[in-house]
Amino acid sequence: MIGKMDFSDVLASTLHDTKNSLGLLFSNLEDIIADCRERKCPSHTDFYKLQYEIKRSNLCLIRLLSIYKAEKSQLAINVDYHSIRDILEDMLTQHEFLLNTRGIKIETDCDPALFWVLDRNLIAGVLDNVINNSFRYAREKVVVSAFMENGYLGIRIEDDGAGYPAAMIFNEKNNPEFKKEVDFQTGSTGLGIYFSTMVAGMHKKNEKSGFISIANGGKSGGGVFSIYLP
Amino acid sequence: MKPDSPKDINLRDKKVIVIDDFFNFRLTMKNMLRSFGVMYLDDATNGEEAIRKMAVRKYDIILCDYNFGQGKSGQQVLEEGKFRGYINYSTIFIMVTAENSLEVVLGAAEYQPDDYLVKPFAKEVLAKKIKQHIERKENLRDIEKTLAADNYSEAIRMCDALIAQSPRNLSEILKLKGEILLKKGAFPEAEEFYTKILLMGNVPWAMIGRGKTCFLTGQYQEARNIFEDVIAKNDKVMTAYDYLAKTLLKMNNPRDAQEVLMRAISISPRAIIRQKNLGNIAYRNEDYCTAEVAYKSTVEQGKYSCFKSPADYTNLAKTMVQLNNSEGGLNTLDAARKIFPDDDDARLYVSVTESYIYKKMNKDFEARKAIIEAQKIMEDLGGEIPASLKLELARAYIITGEKEKGTEIIKHVIRENHDEKEILEDVRVVFRETGMENQGQKIIEETRQEIIRLNNVGVNLVQEGRLTEAIAYFEKAAAHLPENKIINANAAQVLMFFMKEKGVSGENLNNVKTYLDRVRKIDESYRDFPMLLEMYNELVGESGTNNSG
Repeated sequence: MIGKMDFSDVLASTLHDTKNSLGLLFSNLEDIIADCRERKCPSHTDFYKLQYEIKRSNLCLIRLLSIYKAEKSQLAINVDYHSIRDILEDMLTQHEFLLNTRGIKIETDCDPALFWVLDRNLIAGVLDNVINNSFRYAREKVVVSAFMENGYLGIRIEDDGAGYPAAMIFNEKNNPEFKKEVDFQTGSTGLGIYFSTMVAGMHKKNEKSGFISIANGGKSGGGVFSIYLP
Repeated sequence: MKPDSPKDINLRDKKVIVIDDFFNFRLTMKNMLRSFGVMYLDDATNGEEAIRKMAVRKYDIILCDYNFGQGKSGQQVLEEGKFRGYINYSTIFIMVTAENSLEVVLGAAEYQPDDYLVKPFAKEVLAKKIKQHIERKENLRDIEKTLAADNYSEAIRMCDALIAQSPRNLSEILKLKGEILLKKGAFPEAEEFYTKILLMGNVPWAMIGRGKTCFLTGQYQEARNIFEDVIAKNDKVMTAYDYLAKTLLKMNNPRDAQEVLMRAISISPRAIIRQKNLGNIAYRNEDYCTAEVAYKSTVEQGKYSCFKSPADYTNLAKTMVQLNNSEGGLNTLDAARKIFPDDDDARLYVSVTESYIYKKMNKDFEARKAIIEAQKIMEDLGGEIPASLKLELARAYIITGEKEKGTEIIKHVIRENHDEKEILEDVRVVFRETGMENQGQKIIEETRQEIIRLNNVGVNLVQEGRLTEAIAYFEKAAAHLPENKIINANAAQVLMFFMKEKGVSGENLNNVKTYLDRVRKIDESYRDFPMLLEMYNELVGESGTNNSG
């Protein structure tokens, strides 16, 4: 018995498959790189660019799937009380290697006693996207830091690159409504921002919701992405 | 703040097992592990073999495939390991899988592994995960040992000491502390503890802990509100459904309890215990169609599960009979015979149910034959059978014309369980189905009163300070009713009162232990149990200092 499938479901299951095969591709490539390195083949560093692109596509698909699930109301927020240092260090180990191949250093800065209630997977999804972008935009340094501000937990990713283009800037200065839902219709916002805003907004406490901000400057003079959670 | 490289993990003293059906994968995995310095390395090709090995050796790290084609799934290995105590708080269980659709399969599972690994994965990833979990779990070992010795107060002190240091696994330790507070019966402390955590955010386990506290202290309406709130916030938190259903049963609302379990099962159907519970509740609610579906799933899912039981088959058979499918019922019993070939309990369940079905089919001769068979097995077993089975036997006697005999058995069940709501409910069902509803109600009430009086006589003796007489009285009562938790709890308590006054003796301590073990076996979450255990531990402590002094 075959019923008619909803197109978005077809899309979602295809996304899933593609995501899995990208995952395979990524680790196969890792073996090839290791092999190349051993044989001192000079082009093995070129492969890193490939790995970065695979990772980027993979993250895009994960994001798309999350948004799909949110649309279908299947995306429930799954919070626990997490060590923020732990989450940031996890990010570091995941991205360090690839970033280092480009001569980019990544650092974390977080009080070990900082704990917060949040959905670890969703927040990791947001941070993964931003950090992975540093591969292309940072010059030599990325700093991931966490702090408390007005009763919110803030996690910030700063680089020393050229910064975000004007159209992407998204904070209290250029948009007084930035703490509210993004207007997706204007098309001025990318999928990444949409996803980040959605995840931030899913974190609620005592009538307060999370939000993000995108600016330039900061300690390293490049792009500054921050997510705030109540 | 750079994390250490994988080389720094010391895995020399860790016992590791790799469970996977592919030879090549086991080989690769074992090579990886050897390169990390693992010395104790076992493997298993399927879930059954894994469980056998886990019974003999306590592993620190378990790497288990999710999908084995046939036999137990990785999830069942985890469940059975936990159920049998082979996997505890400090064991690292990592589920390995070939596909990424795990979230669908496991997102709703009750027993969560510590981590997932999606095949194929790099050596570094495995090393990193193992190291992280070792670091995280190390601090749980000592608490676990203290807990195994039933020393709750000390375990709580150890949790507090750790919490003050904000370790990475803070959440896990907080969760554990809450569980210990509830086990200890420290309800006001538990409530305060969970409320404090909830100030930081709506963490589901803390909400459930809060709800459990209300449930255990009899605040059912409040418990119900909390569990409903958990589900409203995240409908995948399956434990909330189970507790909500339990709460509704306590509130005499079996219809809604059934509804709740049905919703849970539509989200997460692969949960054998929940299917069993749904079957039982639906059967009591006379919703045989729902009961049939639930029992069928129970039987199906039980094939490779440690939670399978002959009662799953006989319940299904009984339900089929209610739906006028006696043939189906008999076939189900045949299946049970094949699944449990040399199991006396199972033979008894089957024979008893068989006589019931034959009777329904008006085949009196076969019905008689089956019950005679049941009687023979029963004698071999020496009466050591669960209450539900005794009730089945009683039902079979009554409908095959031996009403006296059946009623006697039922009275015995009531005496042993005069305070167990669910069993009394089952007694009512048996009376209803044998056309003895009114008479049965009277029997239940009279027998309950008989035990309440019996208990009160003993309690009065204690209140009058006639401790020696009270001890003798409860000793006799407990010998007569070894499965009545209130009688046994009181027998333990009066002996302990006596020892507090007159000093500790080894023999009396032993007797208390026997009573307490019975209580624990009958009802692990009995309200007074933590208090009794605490008293017992104090006395054991005193006897220790006396001996050394």
